Amino acid sequence: MAWPAGLFFIAFFLIPVAVIVVISFGYKPDIFSTYALGNWSFDNYRTAFDPVYAPTLTNTLRVALIGTFICLIIALPFSYWLAVRVNPRWRGLLLGLVLVPFWTNFLVRTIGWQLIISPNGFASDFMQNVGLIDQPLELLYTRGAVQLGVVYNYLPLMILPLFVAFDRLDPAMREASKDLGANRFKTFTQVSLPLAMPGIVAGMLLVFIPLMGDYITAEVLGGAKGNMLGQLVAVWFGSGQNWPVGSATAVLLMALILLTVGVFGALGLILRSILRARRRVEIVVKESA
Amino acid sequence: MTTPEESVRLLAPSSVVEQVSRRAFLAGAGATVVGSSVFLTACGSDETSTGSTSGGADEPLEDQVFMYTWGEYDSPKVLKSFTKEYGPTLQLDSYNSNEQMISKLIAAKGTGGFDLVVPTGPFIPQMVDNDLLEELDLTRLPNFENVDEAYLNQPWDEGNKYSVPKAWGTTGYAYDSSKISKEMSTWQDFLDVATGEASGQVSILDSPDNLCGLYFWANDINWMTTDPAQLDACEDYMVNQMAPHVKRFDSYPGGGGIAEGSYWLSHAWNGDARQGIIDSGGNDWKWVFPGPRTEIWMDNWCIPVGVKNPNAAYAWINYVLDPKVSLAELSYIGYHTAVKGIEPAANEAGLERLDIVFFTPEQVETMESGELNDAQQRRVEISNKTKAAAGA
Repeated sequence: MAWPAGLFFIAFFLIPVAVIVVISFGYKPDIFSTYALGNWSFDNYRTAFDPVYAPTLTNTLRVALIGTFICLIIALPFSYWLAVRVNPRWRGLLLGLVLVPFWTNFLVRTIGWQLIISPNGFASDFMQNVGLIDQPLELLYTRGAVQLGVVYNYLPLMILPLFVAFDRLDPAMREASKDLGANRFKTFTQVSLPLAMPGIVAGMLLVFIPLMGDYITAEVLGGAKGNMLGQLVAVWFGSGQNWPVGSATAVLLMALILLTVGVFGALGLILRSILRARRRVEIVVKESA
Repeated sequence: MTTPEESVRLLAPSSVVEQVSRRAFLAGAGATVVGSSVFLTACGSDETSTGSTSGGADEPLEDQVFMYTWGEYDSPKVLKSFTKEYGPTLQLDSYNSNEQMISKLIAAKGTGGFDLVVPTGPFIPQMVDNDLLEELDLTRLPNFENVDEAYLNQPWDEGNKYSVPKAWGTTGYAYDSSKISKEMSTWQDFLDVATGEASGQVSILDSPDNLCGLYFWANDINWMTTDPAQLDACEDYMVNQMAPHVKRFDSYPGGGGIAEGSYWLSHAWNGDARQGIIDSGGNDWKWVFPGPRTEIWMDNWCIPVGVKNPNAAYAWINYVLDPKVSLAELSYIGYHTAVKGIEPAANEAGLERLDIVFFTPEQVETMESGELNDAQQRRVEISNKTKAAAGA
């Protein structure tokens, strides 16, 4: 009975990705056509891999990794507190409050930040009045603004899986750990965190992958310095009217995401096996004579 | 003997007893939404009323018109008054460059859902060749006679079969004189200040031909050149010299960036710069009509193939060709609307900064039109590479 899911997967994932890969080997025949199949070549990949675009690639990777990391360190204590420490009566309300900004249109939220952090905007005036800075705020249209916008927009995507992961923890485990003499820190790192790890990994993936392809935040807040790969793909498809090169860049983006996830996954597995080896408890049974 | 089942009594912490119930979550979220929506409607903006359809129209006007146009290109007052007088509400979608607009129309191929598009003149012939535009029935536009003949019968549309002039203007730049000490008057000044005094505070138009035009005009070269050596020189300059100093590729600095204080120097179309200068208040921002060459562009109302609301589209075009409405449009967008007698009317109305709207014949002499030629893809490539280099 898996065929509906399989059909969904094929129709909405395999086929679109296959179309993009096929077009990426095509060519652009003239000014007014966007693409044509045939003339198969790697030319588009050569254009996409042009070293002049390398800064965009590294910038995207940097923003995505730092953004995911910041989301993680904000969401981890918050989700743990919400799942474990908060009175159950308030949990639903607080969770709802976390999600409410998510229901506003993504673009509107981001443009809101544009107004707040502009040099003549509210944040700038406040910081100047308080004395934190002596010149108008130079945050908008920098990489920092993109970082801020990205963490703001994707934080709920990190909080939710982490919350679910911590909510599922059996409190008896924590109690047992305390009974056996572990302090709070040890309980958290050696019991709660490893048990919640699948949820943490899910949260990181949910944030990292869309973040790599993010277009709106970079476009609205980023300016020239906040250039990201998503914008480049959009420009090739939009004003460039060049679907083959755009598809090649999109394939490049997908490959980069897979590569990064693979590398970090491998690192994670290695780390886990090291920790397990170090923490192994040997139970020796003495034979009585 | 069977023992009766005994109930189990547990001593457990309260956090185990309750789980997040769906009801509690929805209640919390619902309360927040209801509270915030009440707050928001209290500070809401005025609504556009949908009045009854005009009694004088031959055919009933549809309810909506979908316009695909440039940003900040119609006065909000005019949009509202059209709805009040004729009925259809106007939905606007905007683009940064002709290439962007054309790619969307081609991709949709007649199903884009737009009733009006506003291409720049030189792009029209190829749009016609690719069956993107409907032929206009000028008998449905009684106000067409108000258009100044000097702007009709352009080389890209003899006889105005597909287009009606909307506005024409030029490209220049504006700078904050309180931050930049140099007196600026040419394109070379722009390049010098952008890479020097105003480095990191510069905005450049997000349009491939205008971006390359910065280099070509400063060097007194026709901006539509197809000479590979000149294009290479342009790429070399823009990618290696100019790109690191750009803050943003912004086609509408007047719409926000100038007033926000985000830029010191903005490459801009004249009407947009005028909006920014007026919004920023004070006398700091100065407009420059640069030499030795610059652009003349004319945007036109066209009806794309696949139009769903043709009657309303014709009604709108006819509406904006009325001299009074045209003046209202001009006072907002800051571009010459090509209607007879618009310049004296604007002077009489005492509108602000008309020096940025109307140009002397000597100035018009230095303007050159764009065209869709073989160098177009190369210009797009130069633009992409400049943007990528700017992000480094």
